[in-house]
Amino acid sequence: MSGTKTRRKPVLSRESMYQIIRAPVVTEKATALSERNQVVFRVALEASKPEIKAAVEGLFGVKVLGVNTLVAKGKTKRFKGRPGQRSDVKKAFVRLAEGQSIDLSTGLA
Amino acid sequence: MQVTETLSDGLKRGYTVVVEAAEIEQRRSQKFADLGRTLRLPGFRPGKVPLPLVRQRFGREVSAEALQESVNAATSQMLSDRGLRPAGEPRVDLVSDAAAALGGTADVEFTIEMELLPEITLPDFAGLQLTRLTAEVPAEEVDKALGRIAERQAELVEVSETRPAEKGEVLTLDFQGRVEGTAFEGGTGTDMDVEVAGAGFIPGFTEQLVGMQVGETRTLSCAFPDDYQAKAVAGKPAEFEVTAKALKRKVLPPIDDELARKIGFDEGLEELRRVISDSIGREYAQMSRMHLKRQLLDALAGLASFPIPQGLADLEFNQIWRRIEADREAGRLDEADRAKDEASLREEYRAIADRRVRLGLLLSEIGRLNGITVAAEEMTRAMRAEAQRYPGQEAQVMEFFRKTPQAIEGLRGPLFEEKGVDFVIDQVQVSERVVSPEELAKEPESTGAAAG
Repeated sequence: MSGTKTRRKPVLSRESMYQIIRAPVVTEKATALSERNQVVFRVALEASKPEIKAAVEGLFGVKVLGVNTLVAKGKTKRFKGRPGQRSDVKKAFVRLAEGQSIDLSTGLA
Repeated sequence: MQVTETLSDGLKRGYTVVVEAAEIEQRRSQKFADLGRTLRLPGFRPGKVPLPLVRQRFGREVSAEALQESVNAATSQMLSDRGLRPAGEPRVDLVSDAAAALGGTADVEFTIEMELLPEITLPDFAGLQLTRLTAEVPAEEVDKALGRIAERQAELVEVSETRPAEKGEVLTLDFQGRVEGTAFEGGTGTDMDVEVAGAGFIPGFTEQLVGMQVGETRTLSCAFPDDYQAKAVAGKPAEFEVTAKALKRKVLPPIDDELARKIGFDEGLEELRRVISDSIGREYAQMSRMHLKRQLLDALAGLASFPIPQGLADLEFNQIWRRIEADREAGRLDEADRAKDEASLREEYRAIADRRVRLGLLLSEIGRLNGITVAAEEMTRAMRAEAQRYPGQEAQVMEFFRKTPQAIEGLRGPLFEEKGVDFVIDQVQVSERVVSPEELAKEPESTGAAAG
């Protein structure tokens, strides 16, 4: 990468943070990952990794080391022969700094 | 588990029990593990939900359950350790803070209050003297019953001569009734057979038929009673125009074999007599048994001197008192009870309640010590008998019993009591005394109904 190396940290309002982080993912896999300092969220499709990082840090008061995302494509379904499309879902695997955790049971204030 | 006795007064006992937090925690962990093995949550394979998550999700419910179980287990263990037999359910109150107890960090302290069943030493029945009253079925009673049967089989024979009707004869009438000058519904009839001076009509109607001749027309005036079922004419005076068309006289059939055969007794009069006398005898036997039972219970009440649990007596009394109150509301109170004031009435019924509880305890103890049980087929028989009291609805009643086991338990009590009474009667000396049927039918003079 050449040129501008000054990557600006996105500035988010509290409201937009809530819009980015939709819900925690509570599955066997997600709870297993929590032992390795990772938490999993469903996030807005259009959210970028830096935004997700900022939102998690802002909402939960933790230090985020990295974010991996994936988009699970919605299945094509048929109803009475007509094709339909389920919504895509974006998930974010967020790695937290050593020793930090997020208690998902208490909810956000 | 630590138990301290806080109260021991008569039959009352109070205890304070402390259960250690570790004990409850152990029970709780066990429950979480059990739950985790079978739990299904979306996102997890069945039984693969991690324990911390199970605790997080179901902590409150499971803790409450574990606490409840610990308390119950401690209570029943304490009862069996000390060999206590409580009367009714022990009352358990949590002393420690409920939140702390659920949290599982603190020891749990609770109190148990209860009343014990008294120590009952069975009195010596052998010394009891009872008299069984019996009565012969008198021949007149049978004759009377036969007479009633003959009356029902009476035939009407037309009287050919023209003469005034006498009491007991039957006139065939046409009549038309008017209230305040206009005919009313159901007030007219033709060719009705009416017994002269008989029952079944409005008062005064049939009496005024005495002396009527065939072909004669009379106008009768009489009043409907105030509680007549047709509201429109109730309590009003009415006039009836009556024409006699025929005079008939009742002819009673002779009481003989033929009469017996006619109503279904093929062997004739002897059989009919026997059946009647048997059924009257059964009635007498039932009354005789009631007398004997009452005597026995009176005697037992005298012998039973143990203290009774106040709670049970209160329960029984409240039940009686509620019925009394209801009767009073409805104005159905006995003459004797109505004259008394509230306090003495209460006193009286409290004594009855005490007696019932005492006899109930004594009989159940007798049953327990002598291995008296109510067998399943006896229960079934009782259920059938109960069902037959509602003709046409037997199936529903049986269905009701099948669905509500508590109702069946309600039948068990009286059965058990009867068997207990039978058992004791077998052991005591019973002398027989023949009395007249009137004396047998007389209410036993002592107060207080049967136990139970």
